[in-house]
Amino acid sequence: MGIRLYQEPQLENPILVASWPGIGNIGIIAIDTLRGILDAEEFGEIEPWDFFYPKRVLIKKGILEYLEFPSSKFYFKKTEGKDMIFFIGEEQPTEGGRMYAEGKKAYHMANLVLDVAEQFKCSRIYTSGAAVALTHHTIKPRVWAVPNSEGLISEIKEYGNTVLMSDIEGRGGHGNITGLNGLLLGVAKKRGFEAICLMGEIPIYLQGLPLSYPKASKSVLEVLSHSLEMAINMDKLDELDQKVERRIEEFYQQIPLEIRGQLDRLKHVAYAQPAEPGPITEEEEKRIMEDVEKFFKKRGGGG
Amino acid sequence: MSEGYPVKIYKELDLSRSSLVLGWSEDIGNLGRKVTDYLNRKLKGQEFAEIEPEDFFSLGGVTIEGNLSQFPESKFYACQEHELVVVQSDSPGAEWHKFINSVLDVAEHLCRVKELYILGAMVSFSAHTTPRALISVVNSAEMKEALSKYDLVGDMDYQTAPGERPTLNSFLLWIAKGRNIPGVSLWVPVPFYLSAMEDAQAQKKVLSFLDERLGLKIDFSDLDQEILEQNEQIAQVRSRFPQVDDYINRLESNLMLSEEENGELIKRIRDFLREGG
Repeated sequence: MGIRLYQEPQLENPILVASWPGIGNIGIIAIDTLRGILDAEEFGEIEPWDFFYPKRVLIKKGILEYLEFPSSKFYFKKTEGKDMIFFIGEEQPTEGGRMYAEGKKAYHMANLVLDVAEQFKCSRIYTSGAAVALTHHTIKPRVWAVPNSEGLISEIKEYGNTVLMSDIEGRGGHGNITGLNGLLLGVAKKRGFEAICLMGEIPIYLQGLPLSYPKASKSVLEVLSHSLEMAINMDKLDELDQKVERRIEEFYQQIPLEIRGQLDRLKHVAYAQPAEPGPITEEEEKRIMEDVEKFFKKRGGGG
Repeated sequence: MSEGYPVKIYKELDLSRSSLVLGWSEDIGNLGRKVTDYLNRKLKGQEFAEIEPEDFFSLGGVTIEGNLSQFPESKFYACQEHELVVVQSDSPGAEWHKFINSVLDVAEHLCRVKELYILGAMVSFSAHTTPRALISVVNSAEMKEALSKYDLVGDMDYQTAPGERPTLNSFLLWIAKGRNIPGVSLWVPVPFYLSAMEDAQAQKKVLSFLDERLGLKIDFSDLDQEILEQNEQIAQVRSRFPQVDDYINRLESNLMLSEEENGELIKRIRDFLREGG
């Protein structure tokens, strides 16, 4: 069980950008889009055997031709400014029917990714995921940023459309990031890498849908492009966003009018500091959450 | 043996080119357990090794079946005279790759296995009076050629449907291929109304193939008797319950039953067979 590198590219203090699927596939779409735009080259993988069950079998005329596993691949790109390594995990290695990776396997996979970061002397690591928020799908998603060291906070404050946990209403700097997109951040700290997790906001009522949320991926990519000082063409993401937006709107129209009325109020949420009275009171916020939960329970989990 | 594989060996063996037959204990129609039990009984299989359960099974308690507590087991039996190794195991709930490698380590290093036979059953919507077919999936063209003279359905095309996952049998066959162990995964269709019980005809189909292929020279008269008795019992249900007869007639004419009718047929047959007629 380990890493298999097909080649060892000569890279200069590269940045490692890693992601696994999660809510709305926000992080993985952002990072895979960037990988595609830069035309990064595959150079290695984490062997799947002990992390995953097979995902597809191909039998032709009675002969087992192929057994396919979820992939966990490394890519690299040499650029004039910064060399980059991408890690894209097709699935999180889950145990016991859980949705996100945790426990031994997750910790092992995070360490394997960081082994590559160490081998290539990566100077920084970015991960990306979703932040479930009281927001509306017509609003441009913000990016919640969580660094793993104090020294990165001032840098993050310079990013546009980005908030730290301490800037988010009522959170007082606290929160959690489930699965490997979060775990990697912690393991990176343990191993002495500086790392930032960028999470695009997804409206609370969309988190259970089997839909991607490229609008938030775009927000993440904008922040990443600023941080990496790299111009990124967003056309592809815009196109995907338009397609998904239509499906979200169809879904939204199916929500009972009374609940939709509540959700519509999220269009007017201002990102107030806790001390300032926002357009939605705490009590109203609670009611919206309860109504939304009730609706999705009725629909059998919102899927 | 690979380091860290949790295998307990009770007895060293004197096998030079054995075949390994593996069946899962909780198969459709109880096929894996029945076939491996039958082989061990007829060929005097002796237990010689087992895989420790802790890495592969949830050990949060025990299940109870037929008033008895059950515990997951993965046992190896040797039928030395016939150069045959029989594995009867519960299907692991976790760490498939490690489990498969544990099985193949014993197979390769202790038993010098030259061929692997993996047993499986699938639910069929045919009547029990339809002759059982035996479907084979092999892991090499050579194995396909070697099995071409037997009564097997060996030309299947298949790929995993969206939302589904490959079986443990496919995984085992694939890893065996990587170790250059020729193998075949055998699938026998079991009528849906026998799938929660036993299907002696399906067992006979698999056993007859193994008997012929491995030159075991088994006397199947007891199993033939069992088939006869099961068929007679189902005939009694048919004559006692015209509705059941109608359902089975329709299946015999390749007609589908509704979900409700399927359920009723399963219940009638199950109740009758469990009460012993």
